[in-house]
Amino acid sequence: MNDGPLIVQSDKTLLLEAEHAAADACRKAIAPFAELERAPEHVHTYRVTPLALWNARAAGHDAEQVIDALITYSRYPVPHALLVDVAETMARYGRLKLEKHPVHGLVLTTTDKAVLEEVLRAKKIKPMLGERVGDDAVIVHPSERGTLKQALLKLGWPAEDLAGYVDGEHHPIALAEDGWTLRPYQREAADAFWHGGSGVVVLPCGAGKTIVGAAAMAHAQATTLILVTNTVSAHQWKQELLRRTTLTEDEIGEYTGAKKEIRPVTIATYQVMTTKRQGVYRHLELFDARDWGLIVYDEVHLLPAPIFRMTADLQARRRVGLTATLVREDGREGDVFSLIGPKRYDAPWKEMENQGWIAPADCVEVRVTLTDEERLAYAMAESEERYRFCSTTPTKTRVTEALVRRHVGEQVLVIGQYIDQLDELGEHLGAPVIKGETRVRERERLFQAFRDKEIQVLVVSKVANFSIDLPEASVAIQVSGTFGSRQEEAQRLGRVLRPKSGGGGARFYSVVSRDTVDQDFAAHRQRFLAEQGYAYQIVDADDVLAGD
Amino acid sequence: MSAEFAEWLRGRDDGQLRALVSARPELITPVPAHLAGLAARASSPSAIGRALDRLDRFTLAAVEALAVLPPPTPVSELRALFRRALPDGDPSSSELESLLAEAVERLRTMALAYGPDDALEPAPGVREVLDAPAGLGPPAVEVFRHYAPERLDELIADISPGSPDSSGSSGDDPRARLAELLAAPETVDRLVAEVSPQARAALDELAWGPPTGRLPKARREVRVATAQSPIEQLLARALLGATGEETVALPREVALRLRGGRLHRDLSPTPPPLTGAERPQSLSDRTAAGQAFTFAGSVEELCERWSVDPPGVLRTGGLSVRDLKRTSQLLELPEWSAALVIEVAFAAGLIAAGGSADGEWLPTPAYDAWRVRATEDRWASLAATWLAMDRAPGLVGERDDRDRLRGALHPDLRRNAAPEVRATTLAVLAAAGPGLAPTPESVRARLAWEQPRRRGHHRDQLVEFTLREAEQIGLTGLGVLSAHGRALAAGDPAAAKLLAPLLPEPVDHVLLQADLTAVAPGPLTGELRRWLMLAADVESTGGATVYRFGEESVRRALDAGQGADELLAMLERHSAAPVPQPLRYLVSDVARRHGRVRVGTASAYIRCDDPAVLDQVLADRRAAPLRLRRLAPTVIASRSSRATLVDSLRAMGYAPVAESLDGDVIVSQLDARRTDVAPPARASAVVNALDDDVVAAAVRAMRAGDSAHLARLTPVKEPGGPVPRSPNTATIALLQEAIRQGTRVWIGYVDGQGNATSRILEPARMEGGYLTAYDETRAAVHRFALHRITGVSGLT
Repeated sequence: MNDGPLIVQSDKTLLLEAEHAAADACRKAIAPFAELERAPEHVHTYRVTPLALWNARAAGHDAEQVIDALITYSRYPVPHALLVDVAETMARYGRLKLEKHPVHGLVLTTTDKAVLEEVLRAKKIKPMLGERVGDDAVIVHPSERGTLKQALLKLGWPAEDLAGYVDGEHHPIALAEDGWTLRPYQREAADAFWHGGSGVVVLPCGAGKTIVGAAAMAHAQATTLILVTNTVSAHQWKQELLRRTTLTEDEIGEYTGAKKEIRPVTIATYQVMTTKRQGVYRHLELFDARDWGLIVYDEVHLLPAPIFRMTADLQARRRVGLTATLVREDGREGDVFSLIGPKRYDAPWKEMENQGWIAPADCVEVRVTLTDEERLAYAMAESEERYRFCSTTPTKTRVTEALVRRHVGEQVLVIGQYIDQLDELGEHLGAPVIKGETRVRERERLFQAFRDKEIQVLVVSKVANFSIDLPEASVAIQVSGTFGSRQEEAQRLGRVLRPKSGGGGARFYSVVSRDTVDQDFAAHRQRFLAEQGYAYQIVDADDVLAGD
Repeated sequence: MSAEFAEWLRGRDDGQLRALVSARPELITPVPAHLAGLAARASSPSAIGRALDRLDRFTLAAVEALAVLPPPTPVSELRALFRRALPDGDPSSSELESLLAEAVERLRTMALAYGPDDALEPAPGVREVLDAPAGLGPPAVEVFRHYAPERLDELIADISPGSPDSSGSSGDDPRARLAELLAAPETVDRLVAEVSPQARAALDELAWGPPTGRLPKARREVRVATAQSPIEQLLARALLGATGEETVALPREVALRLRGGRLHRDLSPTPPPLTGAERPQSLSDRTAAGQAFTFAGSVEELCERWSVDPPGVLRTGGLSVRDLKRTSQLLELPEWSAALVIEVAFAAGLIAAGGSADGEWLPTPAYDAWRVRATEDRWASLAATWLAMDRAPGLVGERDDRDRLRGALHPDLRRNAAPEVRATTLAVLAAAGPGLAPTPESVRARLAWEQPRRRGHHRDQLVEFTLREAEQIGLTGLGVLSAHGRALAAGDPAAAKLLAPLLPEPVDHVLLQADLTAVAPGPLTGELRRWLMLAADVESTGGATVYRFGEESVRRALDAGQGADELLAMLERHSAAPVPQPLRYLVSDVARRHGRVRVGTASAYIRCDDPAVLDQVLADRRAAPLRLRRLAPTVIASRSSRATLVDSLRAMGYAPVAESLDGDVIVSQLDARRTDVAPPARASAVVNALDDDVVAAAVRAMRAGDSAHLARLTPVKEPGGPVPRSPNTATIALLQEAIRQGTRVWIGYVDGQGNATSRILEPARMEGGYLTAYDETRAAVHRFALHRITGVSGLT
């Protein structure tokens, strides 16, 4: 029997024993074709999906390599059915190719006539195609390039897009590496994207995705449209671009709710792009406003559905997606694959932590016990009021104060959902509060003051969960959360866990009311964080208060 | 039947007869009375058909040649004929000679041909059974059988080289005269030269078979002078003959001439080579072992699922399409593969129709016995079942003749040829040698050579199923027959032993993680596995098993009477690393609340309508450690856990029942159900698996019968004196001994009319409650019911 670190499960998950001597080599071998699903302390779970296999094909790996990796590292014999499935799935990618034909323009070609016949018979595909050109090619209406790729993926015959890109309007952009340098993995990521043409770069939170975006722009040397999640994030991008590249204030435009600037480099928010007035997307013309040479999608896993539809028409332009995870709650990974592109780079997450690029973090769940009156009130509350009630109990305020006291001298962020609670906390802690109604200018002033360590405790509502960068927050205390999907919520919480200048680890507290729905939500969070490999422990509020 | 053939058969020695019977087992079911009977049976059309089916292409070609050439045929003539059909020097003449000698010997062994090398003849009946030997049409005499004499005269007149009335050696029979003309090569050559190129092309088409064609008005009477179309030109020259209103045939004599002295177009004296990818044998073994492990796991999973949630039996028998779909999702297998799992489990007697009025598919008691065996033994029994089963699971999901979907477990899935196709296909894979994965095409080509008469869509389909299913069951890995698969196909009981070291070894520890999962890096030992099934939920299976602890699963364990301390102790004992803090917290948190719940509902109280019983419980000394407290005349509370209380009460001789607050009896686990229907009988053993003893006994019986038959022996007289008596067991033992030794015995027998008789027997075989023996007192072979034999004694 082989003493490998890998166990192949019948549901196509791969279990990797993390402490095994060959674990690192094995991780490298399976990373191209399996997505890391969870990485708790001993056994990491990877999943082999058709998309992951096609990603591997797009990156130049073949079925032999995949099967070889599985057989080499597997502790137990690999079921034959699984190997066959891998080979068959991988063989489906690239049977169809989108290519530029000197005479006919965009054509769909095939190496396997039967496959072409099959897709031609599909009702959805037919209207996107023009005349047959010989046995193994058919003309594609250029406007259908994106939708065709989507539809082919749904049929299980993903097309390889070799039709190339327009160069776009030239615009000089260079990295200004004064006092900082591109980290090796950032350079690799940008290079991998550039050589692949279009695609997605997967990097963990805090690994410097903005800089990868900047490096991609420096490769493209062309006008660039950047799509980000919200306004604060747009500002952040602008600041970062000014700092990291030769671009000047005048060259970067913001296209948000407040400003509508179109400049060689334009940063737009998803929200403004998806705003409808009288049933029409008002800002679609932005895509045609310039001859963009590159489009950057920030946080691809949050990309809203209308943007996908718009993206389908932009297939001739280079696209780069940046994300921490390819897993989407809405299951539209296939659209990311067909419309933005296959995965081009995936950082070995654990290695990055070992090299100090991202911070290790400790998660602590503090369980407070409700008083008897509170328990009675909770039991009587209407079900829609229950969460609000249990997550804003006065007991939590006391525990939060104790936690803040414990971390005097460190940068502490208190995050909550309910404004009343935040105001009260702000009052008790003597700390400024940032909430929805806080003006953008004021927000940024406070963030800057927090960064400069002029203020040490900041109370923020969920507005701060999005795409903001608080590098010096080493402690975060969540007092109430959103009931969003565990992926989304924990993702946001993960954002505060950035590398610290002092090099120390981050600490993330969540204060939870025992025996309430609050605790149920916390269980989801616990699972996600533990699966991400963060150390997680649960303590009783009494212990915190007593240790004070 | 020719007497000559029977005489030849009689001249074969016992070893040769045994070989004949082994090669054609159907000849001795039942055992013929004498060798003349054997000869008759061996020349019956059905027996010859079955024997021919077993021939490879080269041997078949030899028997075809014998059927075509005028008997008797010297082997040298066969050789010369074959030589012409083969490329020069391949094989060399000495090779061809030995190959041909082998083929001829095989024909003699199977009694399909007889006679010495210089005068070989096909066995009687062979010519008739070979309908179109080597694709040749009937001889001219046959083709023109129904022609009127006048018409025949016309034909002869048209094709004769000389004057129309030139009489030949055949006297007055025009049919024979015509045949003689066509048999002359120069006549055929001349006639062929006369016809148009289109007619020539049609002839060439028919020359290599099939030798018949259809056309309207085949019987039209055309003369050479009036023939218009190409076909008419042929009909007018007797190059084609009408065998029906709309059918024509090419006379054999014409075809032979057109073939230029050859009988076969592509004769290959050796089997086509198997080709395919080369893979390391050890890799294939491992892959096959992985699949074997998975397959056995799937069967277990199926039975477990069906034992709590059995699907219904359709009115027509079988499983509904919806249930198959559901099962395939449960097992995470494609439907054809799920159908295979179901069918093999059924054939192995692990599931059967049962439950309420036979309305559900449920596991049988045999499943419980199977489940506790080692994985390799479980696999070996499944794989052996698959080899022998006469059902074709591959047909599930296809449509039958009436366009209905074939369902799993449906009676329609029987295919009698299935076991034999599986055996031959695996034999081909075994012949490929280690590390070679023959392509399906080369396997098919090989089978086509080995059994050219057994062809057809259904058979090809079964071969395809066999290859696919062998892979799925884990007999082959990456297309290569594995070592354990090879052993299993050969009936070697060592198959399980070969598989065992490749399977995951049972482990007795798990890896506990902060995300509340436990990973068992291999199959778990029994106790730990059962415990984890209780205290955690299974998340994924395979080589390893991933369990997840949750509030619910921990509560389930607590419900089953486990304490929090016990749970944690169990975790610590079986974990290599310390128990993660969140897991520890979870267990104690759930236990904390579980305790609260127990006070109100499932708590430890004893309730009884009769206060006297409770008095008795309280007074019992053994109840002291239970620390009972009476809450009411009919209720006692205890601080012991419910499980302890119930156990203790049981020990004290009561029959306590746990109940909920409503007074309902708590049933905490679903009962795994079983059917009591006996497993279906295994598919009847394939006829060709006769063991040596049976064969030897049969030959002995026939030989004995034969000498009796020949000698016209008068029956010996029944011996006088008291009829032998012996106890039943001794009877059987004595008879077995006599069969083995070939000695005679004296028995007492109550005949069909109830008369007590005594006989002198030469026992041949004993099976199914009957003894077959040559009865010297009746001078014939008879079958005797064992229970009517009153006694046996030996004769010297």
